[in-house]
Amino acid sequence: MIKFLFKGIIRDKSRSMLPIIVISLGVSLTIVLSGFLSGAMTDMVDQNAKFETGHVKIMSRAYADNKDQLPNDLALLGVDSLVANLQVNYPDLQWVKRIRFGGLLDAPDGNGESKGQGPAAGIAINLLDASSGEVERMNISNSIVSGNLPKNAKEALIGDEFANKLNLKIGDEVTYFGTTMNGSMTFQNFIISGTIRFGVAAMDRGAILLDITAAQEMLDMEDGTGEILGFYNNGVYDDKAAIALETAFNKRFENNPDEYAPEMFTLRAQNNLGDLLDYANNMSAIFVIIFVGAMSVVLWNTGLIGGLRRYQEFGIRLALGESKGSIYRSLVLEATLIGIIGSLVGTSLGLIGAFYLQNYGINIEGMVDNSAMMMPTVMRAKVTPDLYYIGFIPGVFAMVFGNMLSGIGIYKRETASLFKELEV
Amino acid sequence: MEKIISLSHVTKKFEVGDGYFTALNDVSLSFNAGEFAGFVGPSGSGKTTLLNIIGSLDSPTEGEAMVMGRDIAKLSHKDSAKLRNLHIGFIFQVFNLLPVYTVFENVEFALLLQDVPKEERKKAVMEALEWVGLESMANKRPDKLSGGEGQRVAIARAMVKRPKILLADEPTANLDSANAHAILKTMKTLNKELGTTFLFSTHDEKVMAYLDRTVSLKDGKVVSDVANKDQQVQA
Repeated sequence: MIKFLFKGIIRDKSRSMLPIIVISLGVSLTIVLSGFLSGAMTDMVDQNAKFETGHVKIMSRAYADNKDQLPNDLALLGVDSLVANLQVNYPDLQWVKRIRFGGLLDAPDGNGESKGQGPAAGIAINLLDASSGEVERMNISNSIVSGNLPKNAKEALIGDEFANKLNLKIGDEVTYFGTTMNGSMTFQNFIISGTIRFGVAAMDRGAILLDITAAQEMLDMEDGTGEILGFYNNGVYDDKAAIALETAFNKRFENNPDEYAPEMFTLRAQNNLGDLLDYANNMSAIFVIIFVGAMSVVLWNTGLIGGLRRYQEFGIRLALGESKGSIYRSLVLEATLIGIIGSLVGTSLGLIGAFYLQNYGINIEGMVDNSAMMMPTVMRAKVTPDLYYIGFIPGVFAMVFGNMLSGIGIYKRETASLFKELEV
Repeated sequence: MEKIISLSHVTKKFEVGDGYFTALNDVSLSFNAGEFAGFVGPSGSGKTTLLNIIGSLDSPTEGEAMVMGRDIAKLSHKDSAKLRNLHIGFIFQVFNLLPVYTVFENVEFALLLQDVPKEERKKAVMEALEWVGLESMANKRPDKLSGGEGQRVAIARAMVKRPKILLADEPTANLDSANAHAILKTMKTLNKELGTTFLFSTHDEKVMAYLDRTVSLKDGKVVSDVANKDQQVQA
């Protein structure tokens, strides 16, 4: 019987073509959109983790309370021993120090007069120590537009857009104006070793990147740092493990009344990334629910139209002695076959689309030029194993469900009027 | 002879507005296995309603309709379908072949419903097509057939399962005279060879000429029941 039904599906294009198109379209859209949004959100979370939040971050309680102001006067001290301690106690993570600071960058002309100035968002990381993994983590080598990585603490990288604004070239000297940890003014000259484009609009506009030893010296923060970031060795954020780590770490200091005591925060607890993480994790489910709902309604109607068109056929089958239940089951079986064909086509198309978007992405640089959010300028899909089935199962389900609804009509068919109906 | 159909005081009423329309009024008839009989009468006389009841597509409002020893009024939908599937064949005025399937597959469908094994199915289908002289058309689609060929396929489909009863509603209405005679001869031959009971509903005098027994109906009542041209067997 299955073979018989399959022949009908293949030969009767009007029976199968529209549902296959509808399912293919729905399944492929679900896969592409789910992969794209999930990828984009994961990228955003990842960017935030790499540049700002880490998988976990340790700050002093006072610093954490005012972190938006980058209050380096409230920074952690004695961090070398704290980091060493973290590396021993939590070897699953790599621990790095970072200092974020603000100030003014002045670009002098040949006579030493100011030719341009601009507000600078400084980040100090371990640029000179390859073992920290910071250069790879922030993809700095690949993000350099011109010049090279700093070779010593007197050199700095500067955002390409920022450099253009200040009309700076590689080898030019710039002066940083700011305040130290203790509140006094500080001036420091740096040689521009390279310009950099992270693809994060908020950073490219005014970033200056220093080695952390230079920043510590400049800001009077010897053995101090604003933040200690922890990254899982495999590079993947593990929400459950991070929350457990946060709880365990903070418990050690819960009876310590010192406002400078360290406090750990997970990625989830920072920058509203928890919501983003939840969206990223649930994006597929959201799309599947929308898809199944919408497609079921469409396929229900397609089934009703098909039922009207096949009214005569069902009449003949009833007359030949097929029970209503058998016809209903055959409709569901047909729907399953069509659903499988449509879902296979849709999954293939969807994966092609998702792979394309994973490789090439969509450039949204123009849209995020003025954004203060930490987000990538090229949004990419992420092809994950769940994409292989995420559209397939709902595709079959929607077709079967839609046809189960429309097929109920067969039970209302009166056999007593078959002769009259089949005379037409 | 085995009594295969027995109608006793069968009445069928349909609700029309606040009242009833009586399609069959106290009809009592019986048919033996192997009869070649027909119901004749004007439109609205109850011919099709009788076929419906005998074919277990409908049940009487009053009286008793026994087909193959089963009381039609007491059959569930599933049992009715089973009775039709195993023992009753239908031929319609319009051939009603499934357009996406070949001639072979159209005929085969009746056996698929009975879960007949593939090899047996193939043999039975080819034999049925041979009865109607269409074995060479097995792989053709219905849209490639003439009207006469289409109705012969319908006969093969109805007969392939070797039913005890075959019900034909105006089977020659859409055929020219030559095809009508060819079809009727085929059915008459099958009636003789397979012993199937043929019951027709017809206005067509060509059909009447082939009938061994003619039951005339008017306003839901049997007005005459004539055997072998003019021989009255039952009033």
